[in-house]
Amino acid sequence: MQYLLKAEIRKLFKQSKTYYALGALFSIELLILFSAYYQGTTIIDLLLENLKQKFYFEGTLLNGNLLIYLILNTLWFHLPLILMIIVSGTLTSEYKDRTLQTIMLQPVSKWKFILSKYIVAIAFTLMVVALLAISSFGLSYAFFGKGDLVVYLNGLNFFDATDAIKRLQWSFVSGALSMVFFSVASLTIAILFKEATKTWIVSAFFLILSNILLKVDFGDNWFNQLFFAKLNDTWQYFFYYTINWQQIIFNSVLSLIYCMLFMGAGIYWFHKKDIG
Amino acid sequence: MIISGTNLSKVYGKRKVLDNVSIGCASGEICGLLGANGAGKTTLFKILFGLITPDTGKVVLPNQSIKPIGGIIEKPALYEYLNAQDNIHLFASIQGLQLTKQEIATHLIRVGLPIDRNDKVENFSMGMKQRLGIAIALLNNPACLVLDEPFTGLDPLGVSSLRKLIADLAEKEGLAIILSSHIIEELSKLCHTLYVLKEGKLVNAGPAQQLIAENTDVYNICADNIKQAECLKNYQVEFKGNCAMVTIAASAVPYLIQLLDKEQIYITSCTPELSMEKLFETNR
Repeated sequence: MQYLLKAEIRKLFKQSKTYYALGALFSIELLILFSAYYQGTTIIDLLLENLKQKFYFEGTLLNGNLLIYLILNTLWFHLPLILMIIVSGTLTSEYKDRTLQTIMLQPVSKWKFILSKYIVAIAFTLMVVALLAISSFGLSYAFFGKGDLVVYLNGLNFFDATDAIKRLQWSFVSGALSMVFFSVASLTIAILFKEATKTWIVSAFFLILSNILLKVDFGDNWFNQLFFAKLNDTWQYFFYYTINWQQIIFNSVLSLIYCMLFMGAGIYWFHKKDIG
Repeated sequence: MIISGTNLSKVYGKRKVLDNVSIGCASGEICGLLGANGAGKTTLFKILFGLITPDTGKVVLPNQSIKPIGGIIEKPALYEYLNAQDNIHLFASIQGLQLTKQEIATHLIRVGLPIDRNDKVENFSMGMKQRLGIAIALLNNPACLVLDEPFTGLDPLGVSSLRKLIADLAEKEGLAIILSSHIIEELSKLCHTLYVLKEGKLVNAGPAQQLIAENTDVYNICADNIKQAECLKNYQVEFKGNCAMVTIAASAVPYLIQLLDKEQIYITSCTPELSMEKLFETNR
């Protein structure tokens, strides 16, 4: 198994498309950073025009913490999209180039092979989120410094700089779990569809649908609590004044269960289906 | 038999792509699978490799070996963004083989590939890719090698050198080799045994030379002055340039060659013109 994992890592990092995708992610991050800076000024001015006259805010409100929060808000669409393309590509390219067939001609267990793909996909996703988190913190603080964070979430919530950093870090951890879910789902979709374009279309549709359903209020019932699309904004729970840890843990465990279900289904299908 | 498949059948939708086919190959033997495109050769190979589950029948492989069977299906599928050494290293590592640089070089030399090429496989010729594919197939020393259309896309030099490699692997290393082609000439030069597939059915099988002799009525005999041969007047002959298409039984060919020699007509080639219609007639 460890040899399969090493081989998967080697393949992933030997392909130029991986670096193109990473380059695209960091370019988008930079773009968000600068557009957030200009949009942020307007939003802050609008929101705090009256409050600034009555309250004292430490430092400037347009600071690194606010920019990281704005990056977080935009990150969770294009990041899963690019991750889904890379992750599903690790399998669809093997179908297209028929290297999968060459692998299956070797004494390699089918389920171990596909499990190693899932594990590497998860590790790669976590690595990308970690890199984006580090670069977001690094760039934002380097150019805009630290300061108190103001967030509009059912009203204005203010967090002092130290508290804001912790909340931002936790939200990256929570967001990483959502990204893992989308990566796992895309690999399962690749197993089902085999062909790259079909897989990308279905993955993009899955992502868009999840984002649309996330915004739909199904009322205060079990469906609203348990449906996977509703778990993807768990990271936002860290920006309510009181953090609802119970709900966050519940959502995280549920996300993990969804990941396992998608992964289990993928391994089962891959093992059952003929190759070639 | 090192490898055997018995009563193998496979249906896709309403189409029966393989119908009760049995095949076997012994150590050091080269078996040829002849059939037109779509005859079911690749499906049969995929079943032998376990990539496809047959609807009926079973495949028996040597169970004491880690890798009982190696091979290439359709064309060599390699990681084009890696070089030859990295491809061998990767395919070796996934099956638990940790090869040193020297061992990788040995594998390359074994199939006649240069060890100093470090560029990506995407720059390789088809012949080199075939060789690299064979090197990968031979990792972990399988007892049987299965090659699907190995000569497709190769130039004459490539065909000749690959033919030598396959013959050496069977003769010197005792591998059971099954190869498919729709070109009878390639199979007749290499194979000990021939299996003929038509529309998923095995229509003919037996020792290659015997099958060729039984199904050959015409021989193409070439010589500079072939048209002057007196002995050819006793046969039905059609001249084409410096060659004569002679209708003759296989057993009578040596005598005709002697007669031509006596007339000082020195032949440059004598090739059986196999009757494909006859070969593909159902004899089973």
